[in-house]
Order: sequence, then C-alpha cells, then structure tokens
Amino acid sequence: MAEKTDTITPQDVIPMFDPRFLAETQRLEAQWRKEFNKIAARFGVDPATYQAYSHSGLPLKPVYFPQDVAHIAYEDIGSPGIFPYTRGLLAAQYQFMPWANQPVMGYGLPEETRERMDYLRSQGMTGYFGKTFYNLVYDLVSHEGVDPDHPAAKGRVGQCGMAVYNRRDMARLFDGLDLTQINVVHITGYETLPVFAHYLAYATQRGVPWNKLSGNTMNWYYQSAYCGMTTFPPQAGVDLAVELIQFCNDQMPQWNTLNLFGYGMEEAGATAIEEVAFSVAAGLDYARACIAQGLAPDNFLPRFGFQIAQANDFFEEIAKVRALRRMWAKACKALGASKPSAMHVRIHTHTSGVVLTAQQPLNNLVRTTLHALGAALAGTQAMEVSAYDEALAIPTEASHTQALRVQQIIQEETNITAVADPLGGSYYLEALTSQVEEAAGALLAEVERLGGYRHAHEFIRERIETSAQRWRDQIDTHERIVVGINQYVTDEVQKVEKFKVSAGAEQEAVRRLHILRAERDESRWQAAMAEVDDAVARFAHGENDHRMIPAMVAASQADATTGELMAVLKRHLGWRSPV
Amino acid sequence: MASHTIRVLLCKTTMESHDRGVRFLATKLRDAGMEVIYLNFLEPVEVVDTAIEEDVDVIGLSSSVEGHLAVLETVTRQLQMRGHRRVLVMVGGVIPEEDIAPLQAMGVQGVFGPGSYVSDIIQFIHDHVPARV
Repeated sequence: MAEKTDTITPQDVIPMFDPRFLAETQRLEAQWRKEFNKIAARFGVDPATYQAYSHSGLPLKPVYFPQDVAHIAYEDIGSPGIFPYTRGLLAAQYQFMPWANQPVMGYGLPEETRERMDYLRSQGMTGYFGKTFYNLVYDLVSHEGVDPDHPAAKGRVGQCGMAVYNRRDMARLFDGLDLTQINVVHITGYETLPVFAHYLAYATQRGVPWNKLSGNTMNWYYQSAYCGMTTFPPQAGVDLAVELIQFCNDQMPQWNTLNLFGYGMEEAGATAIEEVAFSVAAGLDYARACIAQGLAPDNFLPRFGFQIAQANDFFEEIAKVRALRRMWAKACKALGASKPSAMHVRIHTHTSGVVLTAQQPLNNLVRTTLHALGAALAGTQAMEVSAYDEALAIPTEASHTQALRVQQIIQEETNITAVADPLGGSYYLEALTSQVEEAAGALLAEVERLGGYRHAHEFIRERIETSAQRWRDQIDTHERIVVGINQYVTDEVQKVEKFKVSAGAEQEAVRRLHILRAERDESRWQAAMAEVDDAVARFAHGENDHRMIPAMVAASQADATTGELMAVLKRHLGWRSPV
Repeated sequence: MASHTIRVLLCKTTMESHDRGVRFLATKLRDAGMEVIYLNFLEPVEVVDTAIEEDVDVIGLSSSVEGHLAVLETVTRQLQMRGHRRVLVMVGGVIPEEDIAPLQAMGVQGVFGPGSYVSDIIQFIHDHVPARV
C-alpha cells in the first residue's frame, strides 16, 4: 500500500503539468474566451458580469482548463484505494461486485414489512458477498418511544415505518432468515438502544452469537440539530452513542455503530457544502468522545458509516462525495487512524426525496435515475433510490420494485461499472471537488470554533434553515426551475396508485401489546426493569458501569417494550423539543 | 378580511422529523405581519389548549407521515366542544386526496399539499379569518 505517511513539503509536490504546457493552455483559454464572449454578446449577455453558480453557490466557469487544477497536489487526487481516497475507497470499485442495493422498507405490521423484504429479494435486491441487506425503518410510535396504546400513537402505528416494538415483533419480522447471512440496518429515531436490545435478545433466542451479527444502528442523536423530533440533550446523545460504540467495539466487531446522516441534513435544506461540513463535524465530535473513553481510532472508526444524499446538481453532488472522502480521510489520520478502513467514508446513498414532486409523479423516475447515476459515478457503497411516489406516500410494491430496477439497469446495462472513478481527472470535477472541500473546510472550522458539533446545534440549525429558505425563495422567483411546480405545469393529473397501511394494523398492534403484557412473567419483567432503571440512573449521573445495554437486553428477554425502555432513558436523561 | 394582527398556531407532532415546510411557512407568515406560535406536540389536546390560551385565529397542522385525520378529528371536535368555532383550521404536507372530503366534513377549511405556494396560503388566511369584533 503506497500510503504516504510523511508530511508533504512544497518542494516534494510534483506539479501535474509542465509550465510550458500550462503557458500553452492559458493561451488556449484566452482564445476560447474571445469566442465565448462573441456568443454571449449575441445573446445580449455582458460576459464581464456573466456568472453561473453551483446549487451550493460556488462560482462556476463556462469551461475548465488544466490551469484550473494545476494548484491541486496530485496526491490529493491520487488513486482509488490509496489515501486520501478521493477517487474511491478500494483499488477495485465495481469491477468484481457492484454497490449494494439497499432500499428502505417498513410499514404496517412486521409480517407485512417481511412480505416486502421477501418480495424485493425475489426481484434481485442484492448486498455484498451473497448477503442480503435489509434497510428497515421503524414507525413513528417507536421513534417517539411510546407504546402503540399511548393516546399519541393514534393514527401513527405502522406509519412511515414498521410496528415493531419488542422481541416478539423481531421474531415476526425475521423468523426463518439466517441472521448470520443478512445485514440489517435498524433505522430508528432516538430509540436506537431499545431496538438494538430487542435484536440482540432475539438473536440469543435464536442461538446466534452477537459477534456473528451484521448490521447497523443509527446512533444519530446529533441529528436533533436539524430534525424537529423530540430528543435527548446533546451531551446525553453523545454519551449514549459512545456507550453503544464501546459495547460493539468489545463484543460485536462486525456491527456498524454510527450513521452520519448527511442525507437528513440535505432533506432539511443543507447545501452540498453544509452536508459535507456538518457530517464531518458530527463524526469528529463523536470520534473524539470515543477517544476520550480510551477507544483506539483504528478499532472504532472502521465501523462509522455515512448516509449521503444525491441531489440535483449533477456534478456538484459527485464532487461532494469525492471531497467528503478526502476530508474525512485526512481528519481521521489527524485523529491517529492508520488503517485504511479507519479513514474510509463508506457511503449509503439516499437519492434526494425533497426534490421530488407530487405533481407529475412519473417525472420522479427521471430525477431519481439521474441521482442514482451520479452516486454510482461518485463511487458509492450502497444505494436507496427513492420511489417515484415519494412525495405522495410510502412506496407501493410496484414503485418500490421500479426504484430497484433503476439501480439494476445502471448496474447491468450502462457499462459504467467497468471503470473506477470514471470522472476523475476531469478539469471541471477536480476543480469543483477542491472548491467543495475548501468551502466545507471553512464551515467545519466555524463549527470547531464553537467547541464542536454538540455545542453548535443552533448554528447548524440556522445555517440549514437559511439554505432551505433560499431554495424555496428561488423557486418562487423562478430563479430555480422545478418541472411541474413552476414550469411546464399542467392541469392533467397523472394518476398513480397510492400505498395505504392496512386498516387493521393499528388495532392488531395494540392487541398484541396487550397479549404480551398479559403473558409475560410480571416479576421477571419488574426485576429486569429495575435493573435497567438502576443502570440508566448511574449512566446519567456519571457513574457509568456499562450495565445499561446488557440490562436492556435482559429486559427485552423479559418482554419489555421499546416504550417502556425509552421511558427510563427519558426520565433520567431528559427529553425535549430540539433547537 | 381581518383588520387586526392575525395570530397563527403552526404545529406538528414531536414524532415527525419533517419540519422544513412548516418552519419555512412560519418565517413567511411572520414576514407577512402575522404573529406565529410554533408548537411541537405529542397529543392533539395540546394543540387545542395552546390555541385557546394564545387566542389564535388560525391553526395550521403540518403532517407528512399520516396520522393527520386522527389529530384533526380531536382538534376540531374539542374546538367545537369548548366553544371556539371561529378558529380557522388548515393542514399542509402530504395529505392524500381522498382525505380532503373527510377533512372538510370535520371543518378543516384549507388543505395544502406538496409544492404549495406560501402566497396562496397567506391569501387563504386573509380571505378566511373573520374580523374581530
């Protein structure tokens, strides 16, 4: 591995271009400029004031030349698989194995979600090395940390996620699947630990050792800076995240512990620059907290993952991914990482949902195809492609399958998988990658000046919200075109079938909860909950003896629910509206 | 059209992470001279309590993840029971077409789906909030 470990001094940097060559290309640019200006004049545009921008607001030239990338150290562009990984994490990109198909699923009762899991698998949904990835989202009731018979749960059971609240529901979801051959992403809100406990309790019930489990917990308490859900205070969030990371570091080396949720930032309004800066800031904050607990960067960093949006500005979104890889690699190296995997940005792409429209919904297929193509050209590791009915409801079986087909067509028919980082070396893309990196670096420095991510929630919220407003203002003033919203509007309505959660799901979930409460061994449950309460109280008061997660697993084995476990966490750690 | 400063309660449940639209709307209504109270709520009764305490003219619920029928059923029923029939109730977000008729039957007057223009919402409020006596 040709990893460069020494610091590079200016004399060491080998210029990419010979000065004589650059003199020639500069002459060429001057010549081009004259021709361009003539055309601009014909359109009545003053070339001196003409300026295009990326969606993040970075100035763009009409065309790029070698001199636009001459300032970049070649090592920073480098090679796939070599630090700083701008061009990709591994020396082989998709030549031997394409990115993993990882569509988000979850609705209704667990067995209804299971039907969709089985169906998409039968349609060719494929992970790595023959494993199937299940990217499963929990419902709103679970996110809020209440049980389905809570008054606030009415109308929300099995909505926007699956009604899975305890170990028995895990069995309804996973029975018959080999847990060692699947990879399960548990998309929670802040109920990460109770859900994790249910999964471990269920694995034990199945006789599967925890260290054979593969999957992912979100552990993304930091997202309260830009998401409007009730939450734990920032410091408690960091502590909870570190506790899980530490637990997995010791006992579950294959488990992915943290998801850096750039996608959520983008959906809330963040520009590409903000998405990169704030994702890195959150990752660094949590990484430092892990180091403070005595964890070694080479051990825990390989299990951090990123969920990154792929939105509309085609090239800027690719540059964003490449800039993120470079920035994160350098930042992790500075933290003391030395293993390549400890410096890798493993990306689950989520194609942008917020840019999709309810109007003319089939247009969304075109949008998501462009997003997915961009993500593939950027070298992502796994992908969720939004369904064309994203702005209307959660996907039907047909729209879900169609979204999977978008990935499959790009993987199988376009031949883009033959060559790694196919856009690498493009004057435009390399220049833009550096521009994004520089702008994101400046923004990251601002967050760091505030004391790091956990102390910067208000700053981050304000920045993202300002960007969201700018975006919508631009639509309202027609500065930004959205087909079907402010341009090419038609009264004709494209009728698409819409998904509805089955009418009886809520009642059935409540019935099951009542059966569970009636059937469980009350004294065993009480003892287990008392243990959870004691462990969480100690955790909350700086006397952490690391009994919290094992106690939650034991409680789940005694049929405790997500709502009951969350109630303990809320009571001791605080639970409130975000900034 | 109302001649007083219009008071608006914008709200969404704490379970919902999608708040981009409703927070944008809050800013724009303030820019348009309205007083806006923003509420994250767990149970629908909190919406009614806040609306009455704050003496608002308008309640706007944001919902992108279903559950709006259950919330608005409680909100509209309680407003009636507690004698606050004048409050204009609107909903925005991802609202299926087939819900519009039941919403109207409850007394929800405005439904604004994805892509709606704030200018239309402001106009709607001005058209429907009665003058205070």
